[in-house]
Amino acid sequence: MNPILEFKDVSLISTKTSRLQKINFSVWSHEKVALIGKSGAGKTTLIKIANGTIKPTKGTIRLKGVEINQVKRKARSCIGTIWQDLRLIEELTVAQNINAGALSKHSFLWAIRNIFGLVNVDLCKRYLELVELPPEIINLRVDMLSGGQQQRVAIARLIRQSPELLLADEPISNLDPELVKKILSLLLQSKKIKNFKIPSTSIISLHRPEFIKDFSRVIGLKNGTVLFDLPTSEVHNYLLKSLYE
Amino acid sequence: MKKLFIRIFKSSGLISLLLLVRLFTNQTHVLSQESLKISAIPDQNPERLNRMYKILANELSKELQVPVKYIPVINYSSAVTSFRTKNLDLVWFGGLTGVQARLQTPGSKALAQRDIDAEFYSVFIANHKSNLPVINDIDELSLLRGKRFTFGSESSTSGRLMPQYYLKQAKVSLSDFQGGRPGFSGSHDATIALVQSGSYEAGALNEQVWEERLASGEINSSKLKVIWRTPPYFDYHWVVQPDLDNRFGEGFTDKLQNFFLNMNKRNSSNQRKILKLFGAKKFIPAYNYQYKEIETIGREIGKIR
Amino acid sequence: MLKKINLAPQIICFLPIVAIIPIGKDIFLDFHSGGINTLYKFFSSALFPSFDYLVIENSINGIKVTLSIAFIGWIISIINGLFLGLICSDIFYKTFNTPKIIHKIIKCLLAIPRGIHELIWGLLLLQVFGLTTWVAILAISIPYSALMARVFADQIDALGTRKIYALKSSGAGSLEALITALMPKLFPIIISHSAYRLECAIRGATLLGVFGLGGIGTELQLSIQSLQFKEVWTSLWILGIVVFTLEEIIKLAQNSFQSSINIRSTSIILCSTLFFLLCFSFTYLKSIDIGLAFNFIPVTLSHKSHFIAALKDLEIIRLSLESINMMLLASGLAIGAPPLICLLLPGEFSRKVISIIWLVLRLVPIPLLAILFLLFINPSISVAALALGIHNMGIMGKILLDTVNNTDDRISLAIKASGGNERVAWLYGKLSPKSIAYLSYSLYRADIILRETAVVGVVGGVGLGWQLQESLTSFAWAEVIIVVSTFVLLTMIGELISEKLKSNLKNDSLSLKAV
Repeated sequence: MNPILEFKDVSLISTKTSRLQKINFSVWSHEKVALIGKSGAGKTTLIKIANGTIKPTKGTIRLKGVEINQVKRKARSCIGTIWQDLRLIEELTVAQNINAGALSKHSFLWAIRNIFGLVNVDLCKRYLELVELPPEIINLRVDMLSGGQQQRVAIARLIRQSPELLLADEPISNLDPELVKKILSLLLQSKKIKNFKIPSTSIISLHRPEFIKDFSRVIGLKNGTVLFDLPTSEVHNYLLKSLYE
Repeated sequence: MKKLFIRIFKSSGLISLLLLVRLFTNQTHVLSQESLKISAIPDQNPERLNRMYKILANELSKELQVPVKYIPVINYSSAVTSFRTKNLDLVWFGGLTGVQARLQTPGSKALAQRDIDAEFYSVFIANHKSNLPVINDIDELSLLRGKRFTFGSESSTSGRLMPQYYLKQAKVSLSDFQGGRPGFSGSHDATIALVQSGSYEAGALNEQVWEERLASGEINSSKLKVIWRTPPYFDYHWVVQPDLDNRFGEGFTDKLQNFFLNMNKRNSSNQRKILKLFGAKKFIPAYNYQYKEIETIGREIGKIR
Repeated sequence: MLKKINLAPQIICFLPIVAIIPIGKDIFLDFHSGGINTLYKFFSSALFPSFDYLVIENSINGIKVTLSIAFIGWIISIINGLFLGLICSDIFYKTFNTPKIIHKIIKCLLAIPRGIHELIWGLLLLQVFGLTTWVAILAISIPYSALMARVFADQIDALGTRKIYALKSSGAGSLEALITALMPKLFPIIISHSAYRLECAIRGATLLGVFGLGGIGTELQLSIQSLQFKEVWTSLWILGIVVFTLEEIIKLAQNSFQSSINIRSTSIILCSTLFFLLCFSFTYLKSIDIGLAFNFIPVTLSHKSHFIAALKDLEIIRLSLESINMMLLASGLAIGAPPLICLLLPGEFSRKVISIIWLVLRLVPIPLLAILFLLFINPSISVAALALGIHNMGIMGKILLDTVNNTDDRISLAIKASGGNERVAWLYGKLSPKSIAYLSYSLYRADIILRETAVVGVVGGVGLGWQLQESLTSFAWAEVIIVVSTFVLLTMIGELISEKLKSNLKNDSLSLKAV
């Protein structure tokens, strides 16, 4: 069986600070990977390369054994991303944003109907319930919500997309501790809840190592190279220290 | 409230749809009935032209049994262009515009002219305040140097082409006027008004219009006077499209010509009125060759290429 | 060593007014009292316009034609502008991965329709299509489509690709991603820019009428040519009332749209209104039997030798310099005068009066202004520049008041509270925060004024515009082509320069219309 995601000798050389050198790793089904490192270590770049937004200078990325450039557009939807800046569309309502996760499954006409608010919102209410948001906000513009609420709308959009692999770029960096636990448990549970498919495999970048115990595997990034790639139980404090010094 | 709005707009949409349907069903209707489109260069006040040509269109329609429509145009060159683009069938052109139109519309021909057009004159007029004397010899036109001077339309024969031609013979060039260039008032009536008001000290225009306005008392002769009259030349004439016989039946062009030529012989008060409005006793045949001299002068001055 | 002088932007706003010195000098020297009587008659007729039934009927029919032409041309240009704007935007090829070179080519090609003033389009199209209403509609929609395409492309690019990439990475198709990510943001921009363009379209349609393409402009031209000032004022009043009402309705509608977030009801209302207007305009034009038929009559193009001869005959350099000179003088007046007038006449009431005067100034077509000035001033570049400048002053004045009114009151209130007078408060509290936006709009306007020199040249007897009219009435196509190409070239250069200056202003929060 192929790994879900495979990085092989991936390098990115650019004039800006975001650089990666010879990254090699594979992520298998049902793995929960924490991607840690200081800011600027290349976490965001790595995630953008993984979801195909940035093309690497060298190396290949395979999605379930197929090179990422060859992946058909609709098959792309098996990767879902929670962006650091969320990338919700502020002018649209919560429901319209959640529906935007399902664009790959629908036609152009449906996309237009969605913008004009002509798509049924009942389904979206169930997603809201899942991320513990009150259903009343369904027709509010997302820019009227708080940061934490927006974060959860982004998760709802992701679940609507129902990907197999979850990529999340620092999804908990700006949240208060109470919320962090909720969000992490939502992102990391692998069982099916109420007929919703939660992605079974995830790569989540964190810039602080507090929560790595919830993960099965940790990849430490430093200056664009992989410093270590170990099961969580083998990550020792001195490794973390060298990562953050 | 919002629902009401939407309902209103939905119904308005329906109405517009109906309008659109009507629009396209109408179109075939209009095309089946072809009308003869007549026009004239706008050399005088538009109200006057409107009056004149409405009567003429009625008479033509009665006499020839086809719908006739008068289409006003705003300047000389758009009359020429509209004739070339077949938007107009029969146009009352000046000498220069007639030549321009016939050069651009192969096959079109001069149909008729007024008795006065075979020997037409322009007059130079001046405001009394300008202290310009009456000119006896063409060379004295040089007195106009340094004055504020206006022509009529850029493409007018009697209001620009011939006056400029004679000015040139007196060695007065356009840059000799005050301000380095002459004005172009647009029409003969405008020339009269602007020289009378003092905006320009002198100007040149069609003698027939001048005589008429003088007779009707529209000119304040304490302010304006004629200072010179040009030698005679051919001017206004009717020009027709070459394809009228195809469109309106064999011999239509001849019928049209006969309508004008026999106008003075018919016992019709309307037709006599038309002749009067045209300032003529009768219409006489016109021939393309009569305008060779105008063409030469037009080329010399650069208005015909 | 070149010493760099730093001028505050609010000072630069006033500087262009120095153009008044050469204009004023020329006008003073060329002034003659010959037409004062006529001028007096003109102004006294303002209060006593003709109430003759026929005159009023003609004016109302004229305004209906003008509005119909403006509406149709405007709606066509919105649709085209959106489409072309999308295609020209950088985001488009980044999203669809189409070759960049094609977009660059389209973008460059669009500079040609944009560089030619609607009047020139009108005069040129008239030659090939004859006297039909389509000529006026096309003359408006061709340059406006290109103008709007540019504005929309800039606006689309300003939105960035982040969200589109986000949607695409989740497997959405390019078109779906584009629509979902851009439409909601673009919608208010489209509405406000289009609303602004409508007034321009009405002005354009009026101007085309002055040159014989029908509508109120034709009525105005006919009555001013025969010096029937009472009739002129009937048309002017009707035009003013209609445009004023229309502007107020648009303002109201825009405010209500801004407060409502529902893109659905807004677009339903808008689309049905536009559709209704479109049908109504078509039906009206049809009902008065203005030619709507299309027939193409090609012009026999000149031989190569004609071009060579024309190139020798035409003093292209001198004519271009005249046009540029005229543009500079007119822009100086149009840009510098509004802030100065606002500074000299503070207070609510005088503001109201000024804004009405500005409305009149921008509604009177430039050729008519020029004809009026020629009644008592000898023809010169300055007269042409004066007409051009005063007309554009009406536009710049409106922009100034609109942008300044959008400035919040805090600074000016603080200045007043600390004892500053009304004028100081206006200068530092209201103008200063917006001076860069005003200046960058001024640069854009200067581009437009360069195009408009074509219009006034036709009347004033100067520059390329004059040559164009001469060549057109002489039917010398080689000359026409050369003059029009020169115009395109000049406006392209002008655009490049103003773009450069704009980026020097270094402000990324320009007001919307400034782009």
